[in-house]
Amino acid sequence: MSLSRIIVFHLKRIFDRRGVERDLDLELRDHVERETRANIGRGMSEADARRAALIAFGGVQQYKEQIRDTRPLRLLEQVGQDVRFALRTLRRAPAFATVAIVTIALGVGATSAVFTVVTDVLLRPLPFDQADRLYLMSYLPPDFPGGGTAVTDRMCRFYGQTQRSFASTSCYQRTDMTLSGAGAAERLDGARVGAAFFRLLGVRPALGRFFVSGEDAPGSARVAVVSDRVWRERFGSDPHVVGATIALDGSRYTVVGVAPAGLRFPVSTDIWTPLVITLDPRNTLLVRLLGRLKGGVGPEQARAELAAIGRSMGRDPRDHGPRSVAKIASLKSVVTGGVQRELAIFTGAVVLVLFIAGVNLANLLLIRASARRREIALRASLGASRRRVLGQLLTESALVSGAGGALGVFVALAGVRALRVIAPDGAIPRLQEVRVDTPVIGFALAVAVATGILFGLVPALESARADLTRGLALGTRVIGRSQTRLRGRFVIAELALAFVLLMAAGLMVASFARMRRVDTGYDAAGVTTMSVDLPTTDYPTAEQVRLFHTRVLGRLAAIPGVQSVGAVSWRPMGAMGIMGDFGVQGETPRPKGYLVDKPTVSPGYFRAMGIRVIEGRDFTNADAANAPGVAIVSESVARSVWPGQSAVGKRITMEEHPGPADWLTVVGVVRDVVQDEGFTPHSAIYLPYLQMEALAFINHMTYVVRTPPGGASVAGAMRAALGEVGPGVPAEALQTMNASMLDLVSGFVFQTTLLGTFSLLALVLAAIGTYGVLSYDVAERTREIGIRMALGASSPRVLRMIVGRTLVLAGIGLAIGVLGAFGATRALTRYLFGVGPSDPATFAATALLLIGVALAAASVPAWRASHVDPVIALREE
Amino acid sequence: MIDPVSVRQGTLDMLILKALSLQPMHGWGIAERIQQMSRDVLKVQQGSLYPALHRLESRGLLDSAWRPSEDNRKAKYYRLTRAGHRLLTTEQAEWERFMTAVQHVMQGA
Repeated sequence: MSLSRIIVFHLKRIFDRRGVERDLDLELRDHVERETRANIGRGMSEADARRAALIAFGGVQQYKEQIRDTRPLRLLEQVGQDVRFALRTLRRAPAFATVAIVTIALGVGATSAVFTVVTDVLLRPLPFDQADRLYLMSYLPPDFPGGGTAVTDRMCRFYGQTQRSFASTSCYQRTDMTLSGAGAAERLDGARVGAAFFRLLGVRPALGRFFVSGEDAPGSARVAVVSDRVWRERFGSDPHVVGATIALDGSRYTVVGVAPAGLRFPVSTDIWTPLVITLDPRNTLLVRLLGRLKGGVGPEQARAELAAIGRSMGRDPRDHGPRSVAKIASLKSVVTGGVQRELAIFTGAVVLVLFIAGVNLANLLLIRASARRREIALRASLGASRRRVLGQLLTESALVSGAGGALGVFVALAGVRALRVIAPDGAIPRLQEVRVDTPVIGFALAVAVATGILFGLVPALESARADLTRGLALGTRVIGRSQTRLRGRFVIAELALAFVLLMAAGLMVASFARMRRVDTGYDAAGVTTMSVDLPTTDYPTAEQVRLFHTRVLGRLAAIPGVQSVGAVSWRPMGAMGIMGDFGVQGETPRPKGYLVDKPTVSPGYFRAMGIRVIEGRDFTNADAANAPGVAIVSESVARSVWPGQSAVGKRITMEEHPGPADWLTVVGVVRDVVQDEGFTPHSAIYLPYLQMEALAFINHMTYVVRTPPGGASVAGAMRAALGEVGPGVPAEALQTMNASMLDLVSGFVFQTTLLGTFSLLALVLAAIGTYGVLSYDVAERTREIGIRMALGASSPRVLRMIVGRTLVLAGIGLAIGVLGAFGATRALTRYLFGVGPSDPATFAATALLLIGVALAAASVPAWRASHVDPVIALREE
Repeated sequence: MIDPVSVRQGTLDMLILKALSLQPMHGWGIAERIQQMSRDVLKVQQGSLYPALHRLESRGLLDSAWRPSEDNRKAKYYRLTRAGHRLLTTEQAEWERFMTAVQHVMQGA
């Protein structure tokens, strides 16, 4: 086949060049021989015959060149030549090569890390069977507090029975559980799920089985599935874990299966138990409703069906709020939705860093090309076309950036690993699914080479364009005005981009500072908290629970160094809380839909937490089970319900249909406290635990201990005190209030840290660029400086010259950067707290930082310039 | 004597293909044959011959091999491939069309 013939022909030319050359030689020589003999036959003498033959033939060298010139191969051979040449020259300039490679590695590595995270988190489908058919349904009133995508348990039951859009549905609910009975008691993230849950996801157990239908009915045997992590760490990968008995929240469960490695849905679940829906008329449970759409059914159809089912279900007669709204969202969007914007910001930031790295590379190449002016001119005079010179320079920059890209892959690997370590739980969903693999490596190398060619283009064009003969003739005395301007422009670009990033990071830092100074309503200094969850199996009555707390509080108060102790059912800045409605005696109407937090507290809590009592009094031990019912309201409740009057003495109730005993007297008013990361104060009505009969309000309790700030940690003593009263009850969340607050803003801190890292990286790169350019400028103008000094310019004058140039560059860069920052920081607005996107204080600080760094980068070259010895300078060629 | 290369691009290629259609030949022999067949009118510029031969070979239209020639010296013989034969046919047709067209122009009013 002729195709193979062609291929063989060309391959022979690449790999056996010498053989082919020799061939050609022989062929041409043979031709000349025959022509000679023919000439002799025509009557010429031998010498004449040969001469005639050679003349008829023409110049052999050019001939050979012509024959060699077959276009496709030419390119390949040229590239090969260029690469070999570039390697040689790079080896002779190790400093340049190192700086360039490291610069590109940092830029490309950071970009690849972010790219990996973005694609794996946002784009890759969830690791479930046909994950794009999985949807979450929601049926809640709009603006339901703490809501999101959830339905009531009633709706779950009803919907599951009547819906027709989904092949199968399952409800689930996240919850914490204490695992005991196989080692020390441990608090785990768990989930209660419907029996069809795992089948719906399309996953197979690693060991044992998942739940079967009927296991989520009330009264069925208690079974549990553990995660791969728990199986490894707590059960030592024991294959006999199936059938083992464990205790969850005090109740006995049998392990029936182990989930496959990597399955931690929802979020970081380690243990799954069946979701048993008992429709308690007094309390409404919120659950998530997950479904797999039938083929041919669209999400909008399912949503409409949900709305119809919701209407037909009828409303709870006690419900006077706004009607519920049916919503549907793909599972993927719910899992990753919250983070899209952040990832977009990170991508933007890292692209800026890459740009700066590229500009740095361009600068370096420009400087280097300047230094090699003579060599380039020489090559041009030897016959290299402009295109060849360009090609060679581009090959060099592609090689450097390719090496940088390879190194960048390692940077990306380290970056992803670091990200996994410092990212707080849940800040980036699916982070454990992110891995650096072949597509990422390919991406890194492609970006690197593209950057190298793109940013190498301008310097290459510049040098190829430069007047080559002038370069040869005048040597290094040619100053190349346009190249100096170009380098200056590059520095300006770098400084501008660095400014944008710094401004963004600065705004986040300023926001964080504001956050910390917010008046939270309490005083966190010196406060340590410890939470417990009393299982109803061990503590079935309210009296037992109350007794437990009383004893613990007593022990805690006895710890040396403790100033005050207290307890609250759900602490501020905690993850959860109980909210609800309340009734007021008298004609005073409450604002509709006004929900308050309903913490249950011990006497002394307000003092321990540093919450000021504005009016009236705190609870005392006299406010106990048989005493008249009392309550304490927060100031916003007092203001909105009884404006202009004192709330003390008023009567309220927590019951929907209060009997005479259900009316509570308000005995005190306290300050509002901030409950969550929204940093807005919440309304609350506090009840004394000693009068609390509802288990749900007191079996989770957080003890609050105040010690002088800066003292030794009391955590150990607190744990010991708890252990004396309830040995099987694990101490949870034992940490200082400050640490808890940091936890709450951990997502924000993480973002700020990342942005800060990128911006510092950008700043360092820009500083290197500035230093490089100024150094080179000084070196180039040594002769000129020498002349100036010989003519009487003093050192300080020369210094001012260099500093002046720096300030001009920095100033222009700043101006452009400010314009860019105006636009870019708009994107951050929703993350900022207490500062606007053009906050003047942050802006001033950032500008000063940038100029300061630019001057610092210029300091060494400036010093060198001012110490130029005119004699030596003038002698230099 | 006309240099066939300057007449029309690819003319030389076509002449080479034709010359080889009868019998494989080495480079010098091809030039001789073309001169012969054109009754001495066309003398191939030797500077164009070998580049053309190598070009044709790189396109898979010719095959080459070193063989002992008539005087026992080794020479590089070229021969037409099947693709070369096919191209020759089409080139010939094209050439006829070209010639007819030129004729019409020159004889037209």
